[in-house]
Amino acid sequence: MNFLIKLQSLDRRWIYLLVALAIIIPLLIPFDSKTYTTEPVENIYQKVDSFSGKSNKAILMVFMHDASTMPELFPMEVSVLRHAFERNVKVFTICFTPTAAPLVDYAINTVREQFPDKKSGIDYCNFGYKPAALMVPMVLGMGEDISKAVDIDSEGRKIANLPIMQDIKNYNEMNLIINFSGSDYGYTWITYARSKFGANVAAGVTAVMAADAYPFLQTGQLLGMMAGLKGASEYEKLDDVFASYKDANYPSGRPFSKEIINETIANDTFKISDQKVYAFKKARIGMNSQSAAHILIIIFIIIGNLGYFIEKSKQKQDQ
Amino acid sequence: MFETISNLVAALLTLFIFSFLYKENPFYRFAEHLLVGVSMGYAIPLVYNLTFIPYVYQPIFLGHKYVFIIPAFIGILYIFRFSRNYSWLSRYPIVFGMAIVGMGVPLSMNTQVLVQMRSAMAPIQDINSFLIFLGTITILMYFYFSKAHTGLYGKFSKIGVWFMMIGFGASFGYTVMARISLLIGRLQFLVGDVLHLIK
Repeated sequence: MNFLIKLQSLDRRWIYLLVALAIIIPLLIPFDSKTYTTEPVENIYQKVDSFSGKSNKAILMVFMHDASTMPELFPMEVSVLRHAFERNVKVFTICFTPTAAPLVDYAINTVREQFPDKKSGIDYCNFGYKPAALMVPMVLGMGEDISKAVDIDSEGRKIANLPIMQDIKNYNEMNLIINFSGSDYGYTWITYARSKFGANVAAGVTAVMAADAYPFLQTGQLLGMMAGLKGASEYEKLDDVFASYKDANYPSGRPFSKEIINETIANDTFKISDQKVYAFKKARIGMNSQSAAHILIIIFIIIGNLGYFIEKSKQKQDQ
Repeated sequence: MFETISNLVAALLTLFIFSFLYKENPFYRFAEHLLVGVSMGYAIPLVYNLTFIPYVYQPIFLGHKYVFIIPAFIGILYIFRFSRNYSWLSRYPIVFGMAIVGMGVPLSMNTQVLVQMRSAMAPIQDINSFLIFLGTITILMYFYFSKAHTGLYGKFSKIGVWFMMIGFGASFGYTVMARISLLIGRLQFLVGDVLHLIK
């Protein structure tokens, strides 16, 4: 009992040390935890999958963050890019903050290491950094004609002249916008691109923002959502189970199926250790540490509350 | 070689920032100020190259579209924000900014209010829709202050408080997850990218 009361005055730096150990140990000694997928993430996956191999369909990835939220958002971006490259889906990328510009290149280059045949201007196109003040006019302009609204890409090429623009004109073709942000949930895209042009909007958000985004998910204004590291780990898992799966029946990846994903979880197939590329399992490795840290925090909360109530009852007895 | 050096510099700066957890110190302050300086130093030339050059310099001086001088001039008025006597001039570019806000009002009304209301009015088909119905009604009752929160009305508004507390709890839980994720990201960098200990 006295031990629990003493813990009330424990130096907080010991707690920091324990949290650090709870995170570092699972990184050093990785284990194959199960990754359960949820509907909001599966919806995004299925939408991207439905564009597979179609020259008149594309996705737009909007990078609205800087390096500070990379641990949560970067694995999502890598997973979506990997899915698109794996399934031959045309990808456009754009950012409206200067500090996001190098992150777009970093994400594309990370995935291209495994897909060296993917070419800029043919399979993907980086619109690059555009001033935030022009965001609304561009979002509205892309509803009419993307090549007029954006004009040039990050390499200074006229977008209208790029091969990737064949069969792509506006949101009818570029019909999925995934907004990755640490501070909003694609509000501008929902307000202008979805309301006015009916574009499908999905969000990759930091866990802090997830609670704010749920009303838009519930009303169907967001097609799907990846929330924090957990959302990223789910998409990684879906990539492994479907897009990257190759056998005689499915030479270019198999289509999404709820039964298959449930079966892989039940049978514990497609383990984290089966994936050899570190960038494609980074979120799942991180989730091992996340689970350990959460368990530790729950224990701290229980111990803290026990100590508080014991101290309170002791004070009452003394009175 | 470059990657090794950049990783070492990043690792050192990460440790400087983490040193704040022990106590405030000059290393932490150095890293903090360096971050602000580097961010600004990086952003200014990038914005100059990707905003000023293509949207101001090129159209006016190379494209001879002199009409662009008008918005450029209005934009320059922002600088008067720093002048005590002429700060009123900076309100003119703000007016144009507000026009964009005005344009968004009807569409925001749709996404933020009308669609949300329509969804809240959906028929109760399962336990989830019943909980949404109950939560919406009781929270609205809690925020109705023209009636005293006593008796049966008070009990319902209390249910609203519980719904809000659960909401705040979920939100806080997500916040904890986000902060831990950031720490994981940095430790993954230190343990994996710098020390190469993650297999």
